[in-house]
Amino acid sequence: MRARPVVLIVEDEQHLAEGLRFNLEAEGYEVEIAGDGESALEVLSRNPLQFDAIVLDVMLPGKNGFEVASELRATGRYIPILMLTARNRPADVLRGFEAGADDYLPKPFELAILIARLGGLLRRQTWFNRSQNASEYAQPDDENQLFNFAGKTIDFGALQLRAGEKVVRLTVMEAELLRYLAKHEGKAVSRRSVLEEVWGLNEETDTRAIDNFIVRLRKYIEDEPSRPRHLLTVRGVGYRFVAEPEN
Amino acid sequence: MRFNSYRKSVYFFTVLGVCMVALAVALNVGWVVMHWRHIAWLVLGIIFFVFIIAGLVLNTIYLVREIRRNEQHDSFINAVTHELKTPIASIRLYLETLQTREVDQGRQQEFYRTMLDDTDRLLHTVEQILRASRTGHRRRQIHQSVIDLGELVRECLELARKRTHLDPSSLRYIDSGNGDAPALVQGDSDELRAAVSNLIDNAIKYSGEEIDVSVEVAPVDERQVAVRVIDRGIGIPRTDLKEVFKRFYRVPRRVASKVKGTGLGLFIVRSVVTKHGGKTFAESEGEGQGSTFTILLPKVPE
Repeated sequence: MRARPVVLIVEDEQHLAEGLRFNLEAEGYEVEIAGDGESALEVLSRNPLQFDAIVLDVMLPGKNGFEVASELRATGRYIPILMLTARNRPADVLRGFEAGADDYLPKPFELAILIARLGGLLRRQTWFNRSQNASEYAQPDDENQLFNFAGKTIDFGALQLRAGEKVVRLTVMEAELLRYLAKHEGKAVSRRSVLEEVWGLNEETDTRAIDNFIVRLRKYIEDEPSRPRHLLTVRGVGYRFVAEPEN
Repeated sequence: MRFNSYRKSVYFFTVLGVCMVALAVALNVGWVVMHWRHIAWLVLGIIFFVFIIAGLVLNTIYLVREIRRNEQHDSFINAVTHELKTPIASIRLYLETLQTREVDQGRQQEFYRTMLDDTDRLLHTVEQILRASRTGHRRRQIHQSVIDLGELVRECLELARKRTHLDPSSLRYIDSGNGDAPALVQGDSDELRAAVSNLIDNAIKYSGEEIDVSVEVAPVDERQVAVRVIDRGIGIPRTDLKEVFKRFYRVPRRVASKVKGTGLGLFIVRSVVTKHGGKTFAESEGEGQGSTFTILLPKVPE
């Protein structure tokens, strides 16, 4: 990460954009503003490495924030996204995360919270980069980077899940969730602890948000996603990961 | 996505309706074949089936219409949420900034102006919603007075210029009245001002990059006077010319979706004007061709 992290603000409301710019610059960030989804994608595709994080509004003219996020993820760019929106019904929050947001903040937001969350995203990105760099020098079967179970390998460094010939690309959030589950192998973990410890969310985020991720992970690692053997639901608590299930 | 689910249910119920009608027709044909010798049975059966089919068709139409209305209502709630929360978010952001940071004098003044703009916007949205809900009550008395329409339109234009920082060349007033006789109408000046302002705001909003709006007050005949708001903006597709006055209705096009709105503005215009015994209509050559909105109001007899 560079000395002054660069943040792209995608927001069509000029007042909000300028207010955010003032504050983020005061916090030592460099700020650029895009007024709509199309121009944001254009700026991002012109220079993918220019930005360290994106603050993304949902209700944009033309392409909305959900579309921007999923297009960005579809092209394989994993810049942290903090989604900002007036819509805060559970369905909207879920949609934001599904589109590829790393964090979600409803408007009107508290300035201090926004700055803290943005800082959190950037910090996680730094850690992630560091661990990735470290893994280049580490032994290939470094247990922190690779996790083997039932003929499948999760490569946390390369964000991949390998099962024989099949290679599935994981998002950062999926990888972190898997890492957490694997660390607590055999034990039940609660939805709340996943939200808090894996994704750093501790507000009244809907705990069902993670169910969607579990459904997706089951598709990756289970032979029969509808009859999971590795990723089990623990009724009333959350989930349990079993590496080698008994038959 | 929510809107897809609406579309899905529209398809589902349309298909269901068509299938059931087809079934009824088939049964009817079967009935005719079975009873073609007995005239009484035949007639009775056909009448019966006609009723069933008509019922099915009506039911399907109402259902689909209701689903559409729900969809519009939903997008209205979204738009209003956005319109209410955005200025609040902005005001809050600036207040927190002023509270927590050292801000120099010039910047402070700028922040205050921004917040004032936001309160204006908030107030405008709230008034718009209240006015739209008020117009539902037919019996409410309006405060009657004699109004100089030319004067009222000029005031509205002045306000719009101030709010949007546009110069008079891109927001023009054309007086094609008969010289010095003012166009007098009777009615509620607040309501009429809201109607005219809504038309002007729309013309600006849907103008795109280059704003060229003119407003004209012209007598039509002995009894009526017209206010025309003419823009060279994105225009309206022919099929939507009447629809735009309906509550919550917004033209479902990519171009129009770039502009935010609640779908209340023109509904208010129409209800205000109707209440004053007048008429409203929209004209447009099509998309990209600009549009003209006309209000006709009865003149005060001289």
